[in-house]
Amino acid sequence: MMPSDSPLVAFGIGIAFGVALERAGLAHAPTLAGQFYFTDFTVFKVMFSALVTAMLGAFWLSRLGVIELAAVHVPQTWLLPQVVGGLVFGLGFVVSGLCPGTGCAAAASGRLDGLSTVLGMFVGVLATGWAYPMLEPFLVRTAYGPLTLPQALGVPYGVVVCGVVVVALGAFRLVEWQERRT
Amino acid sequence: MSAPRALGYAALALGLAAPFAGSPYGSARGRIDVDELAGVVARGEDHVEAIDLAQRIRARQPGLRVIDLRTNEELDGYAIPGAERHAIDALSRLHPAPGDTLVLVSQAGAHAAQAWVLLRALGWRQVYFLRGGMDEWRDEVMRPELAADADEHARRAFEVVADLSRYFGGAPGIGPARGDGGSGAPPGGERKGAVRPRRYGC
Repeated sequence: MMPSDSPLVAFGIGIAFGVALERAGLAHAPTLAGQFYFTDFTVFKVMFSALVTAMLGAFWLSRLGVIELAAVHVPQTWLLPQVVGGLVFGLGFVVSGLCPGTGCAAAASGRLDGLSTVLGMFVGVLATGWAYPMLEPFLVRTAYGPLTLPQALGVPYGVVVCGVVVVALGAFRLVEWQERRT
Repeated sequence: MSAPRALGYAALALGLAAPFAGSPYGSARGRIDVDELAGVVARGEDHVEAIDLAQRIRARQPGLRVIDLRTNEELDGYAIPGAERHAIDALSRLHPAPGDTLVLVSQAGAHAAQAWVLLRALGWRQVYFLRGGMDEWRDEVMRPELAADADEHARRAFEVVADLSRYFGGAPGIGPARGDGGSGAPPGGERKGAVRPRRYGC
């Protein structure tokens, strides 16, 4: 059996992810840009659906003993640098109309805006790598370790799951109502 | 009923049931071979010292992971480069990969030593703790001091430590005279005399 961290497995998952993004219409820059102007909620619906599905799957499969949730890697939290990084990311998202995943899917579909986004992404990665020694004092500030929502909020895991599901479904209803109006 | 609506109701049902389902994390149970652990402790194979750790980090030892167990309140402006912060009450969620070497760090060393026992109980063998914790890191790596009356041998040896300190952005300096001629060796080796002696850990 192929190990789950094999590059071939990663490649297969990546292709499947790209196909899903393309089929959901997320490799189309105007669809993504429409999210920021509140004229198209495809991104919100697709991403929040994926988030809720993954969260419920991880919670219940772990509860049923099918997977070991403790073995799932939780990335480190550096609050301030990540907030700034999120803003920079969002700015690039609006300007290009694509994010790294959708940019790759768009590039694979032969779209020039996708190709230029991927190229810009690599230039950004290289520039960050070169500037890292200069940026490092800022990038290691406000370290909180591998922080999860239940830890940050101090509430049981299941309560957070319930809260996120209720918020997501409420938001879906709101978006549907907004779409019917426009 | 449409498929999206049915999926929405299914998600709602699973979400509402989640608070009553308990924690998704199973409890970690370990076993301790007391004689084996006592032997490891007696041979001093349970810990590393700050200079040794700094040298390993500078040499980019493959698989080395420094786990910082300090609480937010304990953060004092010093951090070991590349260290991962991890809560001590979430130790069982620390899953090292094969080939990883963990070095546990706390403020003064006691928490790291306790965490070392717990991780050994879970069966992980490549685990060590920084004996004097961040206090030792601060004093030995970031602010090492050479006794003002240290002899030539001690001064030459101190340069090695000072170079290591500067690599990590530290500020090596000259401390007060000890009055014994500075007959000691540098930190990390048989250091007595040249560098102000400090007592760390448990």
